[in-house]
Amino acid sequence: MDHDMRSILKCVRCGTCRSVCPVFDVVGWESAGARGRMLVAHGVSMGLEADKDVLDSLNMCTTCGLCEQLCPSGAAPPEVVENTRHQLVLHGKMTDAQREIAGRANELGNALGEEKERMDWLGESAKDVTEKADYVFFAGCLGSYRYPELTKRTFDILTKFGVTVLKEEVCCGSPLLRTGSDPSELVSKNLEQIKKTGAHTIITGCAGCFTALKNDYPEDLKVVHVTEFLAERLAEMDLKKLDLKVSYHDPCHLGRCNGVFDAPRGLITAVSDLEEMESNREKARCCGAGGGVLKGYPELSLELSKRRLEEMPEDVDYLITACPLCRTNLKRGEPKVEILDIIDLLEMAME
Amino acid sequence: MQNTVLLEKLQEIAGKKRVSTSTADLYCYSCDASQIRGMPDFVIRPDTTKQVSEIVKLAYDNDISITARGAGTGLAGGAVPVEGGIVLDMSAMNHLVEMDLDNLQVVVEPGIVQEKLNAELEPYGFFFPPDPGSSAMCTLGGLIANNGSGMRSVKYGTTRNYVLGLEVVLADGTIINTGSKTMKSVAGYSLTDLFVGSEGTLGIITRATLKVRALPQERSVLLASFEDPELAGKAVVKVLSSGIVPSACEILDSNIIQAINAYDPHIGIPEVGAILLFEVDGTENSVREGIEMIEDVCKSLAIDIKTAANKEERDEIWAARRLVGAAVSRLDPMRTRVYVGEDIGVPIKEIPKMLHKVREISEEFDLPIMTYGHIGDGNLHTGMCIDVMEDGDWEKLNSAADKIHHTAINMGGTVTAEHGVGGARSEYLELELGKALDVMMIIKKALDPKGILNPGKMGV
Repeated sequence: MDHDMRSILKCVRCGTCRSVCPVFDVVGWESAGARGRMLVAHGVSMGLEADKDVLDSLNMCTTCGLCEQLCPSGAAPPEVVENTRHQLVLHGKMTDAQREIAGRANELGNALGEEKERMDWLGESAKDVTEKADYVFFAGCLGSYRYPELTKRTFDILTKFGVTVLKEEVCCGSPLLRTGSDPSELVSKNLEQIKKTGAHTIITGCAGCFTALKNDYPEDLKVVHVTEFLAERLAEMDLKKLDLKVSYHDPCHLGRCNGVFDAPRGLITAVSDLEEMESNREKARCCGAGGGVLKGYPELSLELSKRRLEEMPEDVDYLITACPLCRTNLKRGEPKVEILDIIDLLEMAME
Repeated sequence: MQNTVLLEKLQEIAGKKRVSTSTADLYCYSCDASQIRGMPDFVIRPDTTKQVSEIVKLAYDNDISITARGAGTGLAGGAVPVEGGIVLDMSAMNHLVEMDLDNLQVVVEPGIVQEKLNAELEPYGFFFPPDPGSSAMCTLGGLIANNGSGMRSVKYGTTRNYVLGLEVVLADGTIINTGSKTMKSVAGYSLTDLFVGSEGTLGIITRATLKVRALPQERSVLLASFEDPELAGKAVVKVLSSGIVPSACEILDSNIIQAINAYDPHIGIPEVGAILLFEVDGTENSVREGIEMIEDVCKSLAIDIKTAANKEERDEIWAARRLVGAAVSRLDPMRTRVYVGEDIGVPIKEIPKMLHKVREISEEFDLPIMTYGHIGDGNLHTGMCIDVMEDGDWEKLNSAADKIHHTAINMGGTVTAEHGVGGARSEYLELELGKALDVMMIIKKALDPKGILNPGKMGV
């Protein structure tokens, strides 16, 4: 508690975050910005009753971390927001969206509410699944259910490097971690299987899975994003240069929160020309989906997506991203060009 | 009138979405960056002057306090509703109404952010010079109401120098216009000047006509290192009396230098007793000449002098300087910057003496005080960091701040050069202003007979 209070009091209320918080930019009320949330978190820790507006203030944060990146006094609002959500959840205070996310993930193994067989995406590639391997490809909920073809193609590229999958993979726990619920049941289900494969490294194509696996699973587990894994193996992939100009959206939980900026750019520039979005790398604006916002506040999330898309250069052929959640939400914003995963782009260069 | 009835009336005026009484909002609008606190009963985000006028009229008729707020970045509690009532969050009125660049002016709503205004002006080769550390988020309304300034005031002056006219809602809801579109006018008392810096105690600013300046062709930055702040202070006095007008003249003491380097290690400012940052702007020739002259003057006092190699290096130095106020918290994870006693101003000649006094006070209270600020106009920011969970630290902080304030006044200085009086420094006004404070009271009474406009502020 002392630690939590210290983190909250790191904020000197200078208001620098007003200039970058994408949610504040849309909503305009102080309670919808990072400084406001720090105040609300302070209030909650002092006994402020968590009514609907308090919960909304805390849950409208996408945990994109732009405020933390620029905070002069070194405060970490996303961490404070997540901790406060967690404290409130422990006392049964949560939004319907938070309850639904946690309920579905724990009951069905995915936060999407899907009851179908998770590993169906494998198709005939099921034959390539081995009991033991050095690497495990973690498909993720969105990968498995929303982008099964992409996920299969990713796996097919990876198999030649000695990669397998978890036969009974469940949600990595990211949606629960971000929204204040306890992910430990899911974490141990995945961990048990990872141990059995003998793998030393997990590969994932999702920024949300990536940050959860990297920062909330045991430290001895090495986690890489699929773009990092492939960027190191560019020479072995036999790619041709395409006559395309693309732009790249940095997923917050891949880039800003974990420092993976160069690997995706290395892959993109190996096969196409890259023109950056107006804000990029550490300062990239959020797509608006993370932190439970897409589920809890779909209209806000849509507006955030539109504002991110306004930052796209005029004359590109595709907008590329490296996270299925970003991709899903950016698609909602009705972009002028198609949005592709980096793997889709690489596939084109392989044909 | 009961609060529920009032709420309905306010919603009728501004629309339901623009009025909030939610716990979360009331809590968020109960403070700014100062230590002043006050819980509002209503927060309203109006988007037209008409709404503001009707809200103020309603407040007037019902004796309800009304406190205007821009971005809430103030350091003196100016936007904090210490007596409750209504907070008017003006940030939704953020339009650039008119760009009249042939007449060197723009018309803005008060909620526009300083940096956004300048981003609009830049393609046309113009800028609005007052440039506080908070320019990325502070609003023009807040700047005008506090007569804010910042790093370029040594050459360009304060916000006051750029306000040609204002639209103001008076305490009873009447809308008036002050000033004129002309560069000069002596028709009547300068009411514009009365409202500039009045911190929302005399009326609510709903629109402003601002003078803008052509962007200089060239800018260059010189860093001079000194053994101690007093020597740096002497160099400033020498430079300013040698006929050069730098566009900025900033001091950073050794703690601040460490803080900047901690915030962004690759800036790598030399770790010495004190650094002066001089900026010179103008034509290519005048900039080169100005930099050479400053170098010449500082030579005998400085350990080392260097100029920023290029635009990137220069921008980096300024970006870091801008954030230093809060960045001092980074030096020690157990300590947090608290904005108290942070804005004194002294006559230029007294700068070295004041720097010496600050050091003595720091030693007396065993409290690290980091000094930075716009030394070119005698405005020093004394940054104190304490363990905010230790009551003893708060006592030390307040005693040190009190001593700093008294020392500045005794030197013929001021307790606030640009941040404002708000609720944080009211108690010193009688000492600093003497009988002039009585005149302020008379003005306040005349314009706000019921005392509903930002009560508890500015010593009135």
